[in-house]
Amino acid sequence: MNPQPANGSKQALLDVRNVYKSFGGTQALLDVSMRIDEAQLIGLIGPNGAGKTTLTNILDGVYKPNRGQVWLLGERIDGLQPYQIARLGLGRTFQVTRAFRRMTVMENMLVPAMALHPTARRKQVQEKAYSILEFLTIEHLAGEYGRGLSGGQQKLLELGRLLMLDPQVIILDEPFAGVHPKLQETIYGYISRVRTQGKAVILISHDMESIFTLSERLVVLNFGQVIADGQPAHVKEDAGVIEAYLGEEED
Amino acid sequence: MRIHFDMRWAAVLVVLLALGLAPRLMQDSPYQMAVITGAFFYAILASSWALLAGIAGQFSFAHMAFVGIGAYTAGLLGQYLSTGPIIGIITGTLLAGLVGLVIGLLCLRLRAAYLALFTIAFSEIFRIVLLTEFDFTGGSNGLQLSKLWQGITATGEYYVMLALLLGTMAIMYWLTGSRFGLFIRSMREDQEAAAAMGVDVVRYKIVVFVVTSLIAGLAGSVFYYQVGIITPNTLELLQMSLVIAMAVIGGMESLAGAALGAFFSRISLELLREVNIFSLHIELGAWRYAAFGVVLMLTLRFWRNGLLQPVLDRLFGKPALQATVAKRKPSPDSEREELA
Repeated sequence: MNPQPANGSKQALLDVRNVYKSFGGTQALLDVSMRIDEAQLIGLIGPNGAGKTTLTNILDGVYKPNRGQVWLLGERIDGLQPYQIARLGLGRTFQVTRAFRRMTVMENMLVPAMALHPTARRKQVQEKAYSILEFLTIEHLAGEYGRGLSGGQQKLLELGRLLMLDPQVIILDEPFAGVHPKLQETIYGYISRVRTQGKAVILISHDMESIFTLSERLVVLNFGQVIADGQPAHVKEDAGVIEAYLGEEED
Repeated sequence: MRIHFDMRWAAVLVVLLALGLAPRLMQDSPYQMAVITGAFFYAILASSWALLAGIAGQFSFAHMAFVGIGAYTAGLLGQYLSTGPIIGIITGTLLAGLVGLVIGLLCLRLRAAYLALFTIAFSEIFRIVLLTEFDFTGGSNGLQLSKLWQGITATGEYYVMLALLLGTMAIMYWLTGSRFGLFIRSMREDQEAAAAMGVDVVRYKIVVFVVTSLIAGLAGSVFYYQVGIITPNTLELLQMSLVIAMAVIGGMESLAGAALGAFFSRISLELLREVNIFSLHIELGAWRYAAFGVVLMLTLRFWRNGLLQPVLDRLFGKPALQATVAKRKPSPDSEREELA
């Protein structure tokens, strides 16, 4: 446990402290800090190669930072394995969907719940999974294999798996990319639902319109450093951000 | 649903009855009994390899090495310590599991190709050690093993191996139907995504490797007590390739498919030794392996799920599809409450 939160305030949901990560001679992250105290929707943006994916992989334990610490709900997680971090309460989706293709949709849904609750009865878990699939409008696909789903349906399935894992901090990596507008509405509904459940959401997206509309806070990375962190309206006006990222988009 | 359920159990019953009565139908012919006993042995190996590679996604070439560990342990204990088959089988099985655990701890953090290379190297080293230490192991002459018990007949050996096949299949089906099966299939699909969903991937990789090593060790020790001799040839890559080919032809993602693939392949290989077409008598010899290779290549090219797995799916339905859909659809109100 973390007896002394860094700023002396209440325990953070997620606390990234001075994290460095390099690959050979390439510095991917340079003194990155980010603290999430409440159930906010945080947009994480930055140009390609800014370090978003590296940061995400450090948060979920795929990479270990060279220096710095990561705390989740009062537990230090930067030395833990991905499965341990998932069980502690951090869940993620992937930029390219990673549904279990030769398993049915229902089996996909069962995996996180059974991993999290070893004594859970399969029937109870199935019923919960079914109701989540209904919310995501893909309950009719429960018996289909993952490989039979469209790209958008696979995105919804990944979101459904996250609901089964029930983490406190959720990272959504490009949830709208390549998704039909109708399914995007379902994803908006999903995001609004997990926020009402008191979860923090880190949203990574190149869809600027969505990210500025949805986010309560924006963190901007560039060349592995946080160059802005604040309300979207303020970040939008930040000269450094305009130069590094938004300016590029407008050109 | 009910039709599928009934058909499945009825089919299992018919197969069990046929296997039970087979010795009588074959008038207890020792040759035919030995061929089918060998087919059971390969069915155990192919199905356990299918559990490891086809279902858990861990591509290992060490399965025959674990057979060798089981058989050589039993043989060496008998030769030097005069222990009986029971002790030999138990020790051989446990040692195979222990070696499987060590290999698992050493290299199961590695990804697929590295595990395959590691297990090839391990198998070859083990085979060369057996050949080199001929004073102790008998070298290329092999190692004699006693019979399972005094006076055991070919029919007795048939029933022993059949019981072993049914027992190991039951254990493997129980495992794949449990949460263990769910997790190993998820890690086969995508290790990183499975870990992100809370699955301790390394632990399950090690467990499935140990379980399949135990099964191979057990099958090896029991079978070579029946054969009466074990030689390093058993550990050659060709033998391992044969097991893999049998599993692939049957369907490596299905335990029953792999077992049936091995069973029919083994018997076909035996039948193809000599072919009589009217007055023409052909001795195929090693050519039958070439024919077997052609079947393997055609299977890989045109029937990626194997030749028998699709037939089993068609006959009995796809259990995954039926079993995993929640039977009761909750009312909309209760869903909202549960989700809130």
